[in-house]
Amino acid sequence: MAGLQYVLKRLALMVPTFILVMIIIFLLVRLLPGDPAIAIAGDKASDADLAAIREKLGLNDPLLVQFWLFFTNTLQGDLGRSIMMRTSVSSVILERLPTTGFLALFAVTLSLLIAGPLAFVAALNRGKWPDTVIRTVFQVGLSMPVFYIGLILLTFLAAQLRWFPVGGSGDGFFGQLYYLFLPSMTVALYTSAIIMRNLRTSIIEVLDAEYVQFARAKGLPTRLILGRHVLRNALISTITLLGLSIGNLMSGTLVTETVFAVPGLGRLMLEAIFARDYPLIQGLTLTFAVLVSIVFLLTDLFQSLLDPRMRLT
Amino acid sequence: MKRNLTAAILAATTALAMPALAQERGGTLNFARYDGSRLIDPIYADRNPDIWMVGSLFDTLLRSSDDGKSIVGGLAESFEVSEDGKTVTLMLQDGLKFSDGSALDAEDVLYSLGRARNPDLGPWAGMLGNVSDVTADGNTITVSLSQPDPTILSMLATFNTAIVNKDVFDAAAGATDQEKSAAIFAAGGPGVGSGAFYMCGFEQGASMDFCANEHHWEMGADGKPLPYLDKVHFDIIPDDATRILKLQAGEVDAVEFVPFSRVAELDADPAINMNLFPSTRIIYSPINTRETRADGSANPLNDVRVRQAINYATNKDALIGLVLQGAGQPMTAPLMSSSTRLASKLDLYSYDMDKAMALVKEAGLEAGTKVTLTTLAGSSDDATIFAALQQMWAPLGIDLVVEQVDGATRGAKNRSGEFDIHTYGWVDDVNDPSQVTGWLGYSPVRSAVGTGWESAKFNELFEASGKEMDQAARAQQYAEMQDIYAEAAPLLFMYETPFAVAISTAVDGYVQTPLGANIFSRATVSK
Amino acid sequence: MTDSTVTTVKASKVAPSRVQLALRKPGFMIGVIIIGFSTLLAVFPSFFAPYDPNFIDYLAVRQAPSWAHPFGTDMLGRDALSRVIHAYSVNMQMAVLATVFALTIGVVVGALVGYYRGVADMIFGRVVDAIITFPFLVLVIAVVAVLGPGLINMYIAITVVGWVYYARLMRAEVIAQMGNDYASAGIVMGYSDRRIIFRHLLPNAITPVIVYWMTDMALAILLGSSLGYLGLGAQPPQAEWGVLIAEGRNFITTAWWLSLMPGIAIVITGLGFSLIGDGLADLLRPRG
Repeated sequence: MAGLQYVLKRLALMVPTFILVMIIIFLLVRLLPGDPAIAIAGDKASDADLAAIREKLGLNDPLLVQFWLFFTNTLQGDLGRSIMMRTSVSSVILERLPTTGFLALFAVTLSLLIAGPLAFVAALNRGKWPDTVIRTVFQVGLSMPVFYIGLILLTFLAAQLRWFPVGGSGDGFFGQLYYLFLPSMTVALYTSAIIMRNLRTSIIEVLDAEYVQFARAKGLPTRLILGRHVLRNALISTITLLGLSIGNLMSGTLVTETVFAVPGLGRLMLEAIFARDYPLIQGLTLTFAVLVSIVFLLTDLFQSLLDPRMRLT
Repeated sequence: MKRNLTAAILAATTALAMPALAQERGGTLNFARYDGSRLIDPIYADRNPDIWMVGSLFDTLLRSSDDGKSIVGGLAESFEVSEDGKTVTLMLQDGLKFSDGSALDAEDVLYSLGRARNPDLGPWAGMLGNVSDVTADGNTITVSLSQPDPTILSMLATFNTAIVNKDVFDAAAGATDQEKSAAIFAAGGPGVGSGAFYMCGFEQGASMDFCANEHHWEMGADGKPLPYLDKVHFDIIPDDATRILKLQAGEVDAVEFVPFSRVAELDADPAINMNLFPSTRIIYSPINTRETRADGSANPLNDVRVRQAINYATNKDALIGLVLQGAGQPMTAPLMSSSTRLASKLDLYSYDMDKAMALVKEAGLEAGTKVTLTTLAGSSDDATIFAALQQMWAPLGIDLVVEQVDGATRGAKNRSGEFDIHTYGWVDDVNDPSQVTGWLGYSPVRSAVGTGWESAKFNELFEASGKEMDQAARAQQYAEMQDIYAEAAPLLFMYETPFAVAISTAVDGYVQTPLGANIFSRATVSK
Repeated sequence: MTDSTVTTVKASKVAPSRVQLALRKPGFMIGVIIIGFSTLLAVFPSFFAPYDPNFIDYLAVRQAPSWAHPFGTDMLGRDALSRVIHAYSVNMQMAVLATVFALTIGVVVGALVGYYRGVADMIFGRVVDAIITFPFLVLVIAVVAVLGPGLINMYIAITVVGWVYYARLMRAEVIAQMGNDYASAGIVMGYSDRRIIFRHLLPNAITPVIVYWMTDMALAILLGSSLGYLGLGAQPPQAEWGVLIAEGRNFITTAWWLSLMPGIAIVITGLGFSLIGDGLADLLRPRG
């Protein structure tokens, strides 16, 4: 079957991508000024102590040797031991993955729920006041730094009205729903603004297209036109955009998780960078790369399902 | 317990008020931290969030007194230093138990001190470098020294010499001590320590729980074992503003590391006690004193007069006002905080623009000399310090530029000498001035905190003071070292800051020591 | 499909010029005015700012808004209004320089691979995947840490990653447009590739890219602000909105004006860009 073949081919193509990612991150972390041995022994350690630790960590080996070790271990599913956490990288990542995954999916869901209906309302009332109001409000959401929106939501909805908890993460599905609502909302305000703008534009474009004008002229009810033409096209562009912004979304979690004290992968990444925890940075980067690649693959599959013109090649 | 008649009558007449007088037991204290612990083991703890929690889980043989000025008994009920200063004899209390109820005996002490002394294990072994042997006879522990060491009692009151359970380590999975330690920590639960608490919950980077150790030897005011609390729950919230909101929303009872700019606001809140615990924390900036910079160019800060000038030109009171909102004081002892023992009280470069101008003139400093201040990226305190110093030093002809880096880069620069001046801070880990003095001034350790400053006289005094058992003579040596250091000004001397902890009024008895340790054993929460 | 030359002739007779059309769109005009005025502030900040933005006054710390200091003063006693105005220089520069190179590279590459497909498209796919799967902020933080903090290094880092987003968008649009009749007609009529790509496909496909660009300029300001918040963007004492907000965020309840004013500046500027984007979307839409 063509579809299966396509998927297999795409998976095969991911291999060079991942190797490239591994090389880049491996070199990049070693270019960073700073020493992971300090993360272990602390600022107060003597130079001799640091040298001993570097030796033990294998940081004095030639780069090629280090990379080969990293590469072959990764192939065997071993991402190494985190320097600062003193435990295996994969266990740390697996522990935090569900939280960040929940946050990201929750944010996407909220974005679609917010952006979808409002984009239609705005597009159908183009140039009138509902359009203006919706777009202005979203613009505010789009223009505020995450660390600021987050803090405002926390100050008013959590600390003063006490509708939500201030930071942290909950237990179980509903616990997470409750704890992660504000951080997800913070991310969603920004993502939904992008989706809304794009969706509105593409709906308007379809509405103005000749074939739709023609259908309207023939007296077809608007609802039918919307259902038949607009929805499909709008979906395509939205999914493309969602796929595109998954990287942004992941980056967004770095700051969001810090502000909301969510123990997820984003915050871990920041901590790992600051501690120069090479194995952890490498492992996290690979994890991000795998996640994003999967999302891209799914995006493309959906696209081709909805739009036969996007041939699977 | 003696009780006179008056007291008895008083007690009887105020019977209704008695519950308030009695120590309230039970309850959970929710505490919001700025950073999480990663491994709480006496010998491996190297970051403050780890070090400051060791004391809650593990007891030491000796302790610092509440005011930090002397050493008192801990697990050891008595102790004695021999005449020649080469032997310390300690007597363990009877019937000591670990948090799982198993016996704590001399064997555990020998095992723990053996770990602490082993230079192949933790980073702190050097502090026990003079210990040549530790032996036990029943409850009597004898620590032998290769040379007299005036710091030995302080060392036995320091976190790294805390006692761990040998049986637990023997039984733990893992080939090396490191692996065993990690496995024990990951498993949690009672048994490994004898502190007021044991760890009963841990989620890496998110939260941690301490549960009361019912076998603890130390008694509360009500004659029952400490702690009063059932549990302490820690949430890790790195963002300052979020952490404070958590307190204001009533979700936690205490918040550490309150930014000083928020102190006044929280102080005004009737539901919150804003505590400023005295600390040994000093904020200073090492100055690169080498003849040339790392890139080979001439270093204007090599001239002691220029270093003195920038110290004079720095208005510390203004800085304290801007950065700490007044919650601090200028450094008065060049090598340490005024809370550290043997600290001098000097007039340390009080703001004097005339002197500063005269000094740069004498040194022939060219107008427009470029000096780089390396600061911590994202730190608003550092940004404020830079902006203020830039303006304060401009009249000297110094064009101060900033270079913002993260902590790891700053640490690397400090070691390689690739900086002019950079912001830094320090908190003592040991209740003795030797640690901070070695760090800041003794050049063989770390080139005098990376400054490259070297004084043979200073080093000589420092080495001599390490063997000096006579208190007065040692104090004299420290006074001399501080004078030398102040004169040479390898640092921009800035200020001392307290530990700012905001606590709900429902909580009583929580203490953060001058060394930073979080003490929950006498804390209570009223319901 | 009508012949394009005929359409153009017809359009010029019947429809007003694009400039005339633009003048009739109040949203677009408001956007132009906002961005125009922002540009003025960015170029001549000292003319508009009442005080020196870096002058420290220890005795006037965190004052509430007054006639002397309409936006109050910050924690160093600096005039907040002057700092917000001087920040226009940096932030407007960010909006343009962090996006314009990415846009140019992305549009050309995207159009080419979208049109030719084949091997070039395959290679493009790998490169895009490698860059896009890399956590964006991590790459930027790492590049800035290696090169040293500062605006130029920040632009380099953002461009290295940012062009991919334009290229992907452009490629998808070009492929979609290829399915339309006029593209096949162009091929049938034997037009050169260049003509088809740049005269026919590009103008039709670029609308979403331009709209995205306007959004991206606002996003660039935001990203720059986030980096400023982390200390990796604009360097002190240079005022920058992100840094100003970060400085004021601890005082949301006590000195709200410190973070609100730069916040408003970001919102208004972002609004300006997006209004222009929407207007352009309408104006650039192929007519006829």
